[in-house]
Amino acid sequence: MATLNITYNGHSADYELPLDFATSDADIRRIAVEIVRSGGLRGLHIANLAQNAFASFVIDRLTGTDGAQRIYLRPKVPFGA
Amino acid sequence: MAPKVVICGVGALGSTCVQYLRNVDAELRLIDFDRVESKNLSAQWFVKQSLGKNKAEAARLQLANFYGAKAEAMNVKLGAHNASQLLADCALAVDCFDNADSRNVLSESARAANVPLVHAAISGDGTFGLVRWNERFTADREDAEGQATCEGGEHLPMIGLIGATLARTIQDFVLRADRHDYLISLSGVVRTS
Repeated sequence: MATLNITYNGHSADYELPLDFATSDADIRRIAVEIVRSGGLRGLHIANLAQNAFASFVIDRLTGTDGAQRIYLRPKVPFGA
Repeated sequence: MAPKVVICGVGALGSTCVQYLRNVDAELRLIDFDRVESKNLSAQWFVKQSLGKNKAEAARLQLANFYGAKAEAMNVKLGAHNASQLLADCALAVDCFDNADSRNVLSESARAANVPLVHAAISGDGTFGLVRWNERFTADREDAEGQATCEGGEHLPMIGLIGATLARTIQDFVLRADRHDYLISLSGVVRTS
């Protein structure tokens, strides 16, 4: 099982309930919308969040050195210079 | 002998990071082919006296004039044809490029040369950034070619936060060979590996 972290509109937080690490990208985006709409993410409650709010977001699946699995749903970061 | 750190891209994140590296125990090589324009002054670590200068050379001069710190400047565009030369004898490469194609060339070249590489990147709306090592990094592409970012100055505090986090990451690598990733949002900086 994995911890889902959602970053949106400058805020980033973990969702308390674990997800299957192999959850599809489409399902992660759908679940994330429901979590944010319901206020399940601390500091980020948007009741009328658009269904496609995370459509262009990137999903990273990372395993820490301690074996912990984490899923990050985040905005694209194309820029630097 | 101090390790050589190569900063690839001396724009918003690159120039901001460089100012925090002025006392790091490393030789700095700065690479950028672009010139400082007036619009850059609101989001990049350049002063009016640097207008028109090559960005790598301008950053080198500012380090020298403001702090007496030394760096090497290279006015060149990094590509597949010259990457191995530019990364030669370096202990660490740092990616602050502004496009996925250049990031990918640098990633491949660093892997081929077995050079550690750390990336820094910022979202288009300036609310989020990453510092991530090459083994866990995939370059994101713009939603639309030519997508605007960083030029109005609105994102400067976030650029500062990401640049400082990157500088700390470089410092940790130089001092202890640590390789940590960070996620940077308006909520704060979180270590993710």
